[in-house]
Amino acid sequence: MSIEVTNVTKKFGDFVALDDVSVSLPTGQLTALLGPSGGGKSTLLRIIAGLDSADSGTINIEGTDATRLPAQKRGVGFVFQHYAVFKHMTVAKNVAFGLEIRKRPKDEVKRRVEELLELVHLSQFSHRLPSQLSGGQRQRMALARALAVEPKVLLLDEPFGALDAKVRKELRDWLRRLHDEVHVTTVFVTHDQEEALEVADEIVVINEGRVEQIGTPDQLYDEPANDFVMGFLGEVTQLGDVRLRPHDIEVAVTPGLAGAIEGTATRVLRVGFEVRVTVATSGGDVTVVLTRTHARQLELVEGTKVWLTAASGATTVPAMVAV
Amino acid sequence: MVDVSTPVKWLLRLVAVGYVFFLVAWPVGLVVQHTFDAGFDNLTEALSDEQVVGALQLTLMVAVWAVVINLVFGVGISLLLVRFEFPGKRVLSALIDLPLSVSPVVVGLALLLVYNGRDGWIGPAAESAGFQIIFDSPGMIMATCFVALPLIIREVVPVLHEIGDDQEQAARSLGASTRQTFWRITLPSIKWAVVYGVVLSLARSLGEFGAVKIVSGNITGQTQTATLVVEAKYQNFQQQTAYATSFLLILVSIACLVVVAFLRPKRTH
Amino acid sequence: MTSALIGASEVARPASPEGRRPRRFRRSTPRNTLTRGAGLGLGIAMIWFSLLVLIPLSAVIAAAGSGGWDRYFSVLRNDQTWAAVTLTVGQAGIVTLVNIVIGTVIAWVLVRDQFWGKRLLDVIIDVPFALPTIVAGLVLLSLYGPNSPLGIHWAFTENAVALALAFVTLPFVVRTVQPVLEELEADVEEAAASLGASRGTILRRIILPSLAPAIAAGAALSFARAISEYGSLVLLSGNRPFETEVVSVRVLTFIENGNNGSAAALASVMLFVALVVIVALDIVQRRVARRG
Ligand SMILES: Nc1ncnc2c1ncn2[C@@H]1O[C@H](COP(=O)(O)OP(=O)(O)O)[C@@H](O)[C@H]1O
Ligand SMILES: [Mg+2]
Repeated sequence: MSIEVTNVTKKFGDFVALDDVSVSLPTGQLTALLGPSGGGKSTLLRIIAGLDSADSGTINIEGTDATRLPAQKRGVGFVFQHYAVFKHMTVAKNVAFGLEIRKRPKDEVKRRVEELLELVHLSQFSHRLPSQLSGGQRQRMALARALAVEPKVLLLDEPFGALDAKVRKELRDWLRRLHDEVHVTTVFVTHDQEEALEVADEIVVINEGRVEQIGTPDQLYDEPANDFVMGFLGEVTQLGDVRLRPHDIEVAVTPGLAGAIEGTATRVLRVGFEVRVTVATSGGDVTVVLTRTHARQLELVEGTKVWLTAASGATTVPAMVAV
Repeated sequence: MVDVSTPVKWLLRLVAVGYVFFLVAWPVGLVVQHTFDAGFDNLTEALSDEQVVGALQLTLMVAVWAVVINLVFGVGISLLLVRFEFPGKRVLSALIDLPLSVSPVVVGLALLLVYNGRDGWIGPAAESAGFQIIFDSPGMIMATCFVALPLIIREVVPVLHEIGDDQEQAARSLGASTRQTFWRITLPSIKWAVVYGVVLSLARSLGEFGAVKIVSGNITGQTQTATLVVEAKYQNFQQQTAYATSFLLILVSIACLVVVAFLRPKRTH
Repeated sequence: MTSALIGASEVARPASPEGRRPRRFRRSTPRNTLTRGAGLGLGIAMIWFSLLVLIPLSAVIAAAGSGGWDRYFSVLRNDQTWAAVTLTVGQAGIVTLVNIVIGTVIAWVLVRDQFWGKRLLDVIIDVPFALPTIVAGLVLLSLYGPNSPLGIHWAFTENAVALALAFVTLPFVVRTVQPVLEELEADVEEAAASLGASRGTILRRIILPSLAPAIAAGAALSFARAISEYGSLVLLSGNRPFETEVVSVRVLTFIENGNNGSAAALASVMLFVALVVIVALDIVQRRVARRG
């Protein structure tokens, strides 16, 4: 295990930001800390990096107890949401910073900086000031800067949060490929479930200072531990006394199946290749998603009477009573 | 945030507080203390001295005129600089700041050279039209305007930049005239900046000394402002009156500071 | 009473963390977008500005130039004037150095430290801006003059000149550095720390370089103000020729003797220095703007 977080608790005044959190992250993996804003993801990441200290609990990095180590000595690379560039230094100087601090020989620094700029595709910008780079370029520079000192672990706090959707998606794929190349243990924070599902080997879902579930993207999606995880990873609707994904509901236009719930389609909305139907039932509105072909076969229009059942093999969790 | 170690922190704190205490706080406190050496006698005496009272009235008159002129000019120039493009704008915007770095003595000399009635560039013509500038209030008002010129502009321009012209264009599109747009949209949004600017200008105007000394001729009982009276009284060995008058000026300037400190919204991060 | 008086609001305003495009990319050739009303307003404003500032300052240059170079030399070669110039520049230099160090320390304390009375300290810093200069002189006399409770008698000495200049220039460096320090992003320092930089290294390589333009701007303003100071010195320094007489006082003496030409010659030198300061500030601000 590369990073062991054991029973970490952190309070800001009376507010409990992390409540007895334990996580272990295996070496060489790309892990996402996923959860809603304010859930404590950044706090956990900063405690791992030594930028904040835990009230209780321990941090172990690559077998050494790092709980009391200052940030300078932990050997972690940290990438911030807003890049945290050194504005008065050129791109090359930014990347060289950590190496110069360590008093590495000049030619080694030069070679390493060139290598890294190559890696993040910024070679031709080495003499520019950060202000002359776009947001995505700045973040790649920040990444090169963090990688320069060969950290044991790389921590990224919403690294793409400040970028626009397109660049964000590009960089996300690029991070995945970079990780496959460099293999450094990486933890990144995100509140975007799509980002986590696409990029991470493993996801830690954090909410209100607690770990809700740890698992691979598939595990999380298919076997959510609870209602919260299920809701956070994708759309959910409630059918009778279970909650399930809208595309896991079977629709029939004739009664027949045992346990089917009867309702009336009140809204039929075509979104691209799928059709979203709102069905009014005695237990409230249910959202159903079908393919367009399927909807056409059923001749589904507003006002049609329908009978709904959960598809066999659907992921369901019991609905919580009176939320 | 990276912090310094505790002993260094205490050292820095001590240096900062100590320096300001010995340079500013204690000396100002002493003047206040001297004013009340004999209870309220010094103050009442000063306030019954015709020379002092006249000077205070003159100071107020000059300052109010200067502030009003700078207000109109300042708001107007700010709008022109931010909302319009015209050739020479950059130069004008740089020149506007010039008065901040010109010595008051040079300001006085400059006005004297142009407006004196004997051999000035414009002075003799103005005087033959029955308009005395130097050694009279117009000159003093001009000198005061000069030294306080950029203060309102420096407050208003950044705010105008910040609010942009979206609201003004929206008002225009709704049929508001230029005048209506100014009074109903622009002015309310720069209101506080204008108020700060005015308070700053007032403090600066009430306290001007060097420039006014030169253009006023420093004629006792006629063109002597409060600051000139402080000098005269002190050199006349009427130090108690000098302290009392200074106290009044300190009071006004600290009041201005407090107004600014409380009205100005906290810096947002 | 901060950036308004010290004229450095641009220095004090760093760009947002987002990659905002620097303005200069958008700079187009000067166009004219004045409406008729605005044009009229600009005309009136320019007439007033000319009458108040441009014509009088030109008059100083003209009066100074009317005597040719000879007058410059004779004015500056005068021993008493030369003594005043060296005294003023020397003391202004010393005071500016003091301000660079102490002003930065005060700004640091105001931004990074927390203690009882900090808010009061913050307000007191502005007192020298708001106080009439003649009152400033009187105020300093009360602690450093003949009746000093400290037993220090610096009135009419060179120290008095330094004291007065230090008083009136106190806020400049503090008020240019303070907002920049406030806007320094904590994560930049944290980034340096996670790369292994010690406190000292972070201070030297990250914080001070970020503050340098603001410190330079504050120092320039402080120097410009110091060499042009007059009011606070009147009561305190005694204006003793060769000892405590500064350039402003020299100019005033020329005026009082009816020697406007010499006054203008000396004044134009001071104007020139003011101009150099403005240009230097503009350059600093552009460089900072480039950093974004
Ligand atoms: N320095 C701090 N002081 C007080 N509260 C904080 C501080 N840092 C974080 N918090 C609080 O702790 C909670 C978790 O914050 P954070 O870890 O930043 O959440 P996330 O990164 O998941 O959005 C939030 O409610 C936040 O307001
Ligand atoms: Mg966060």
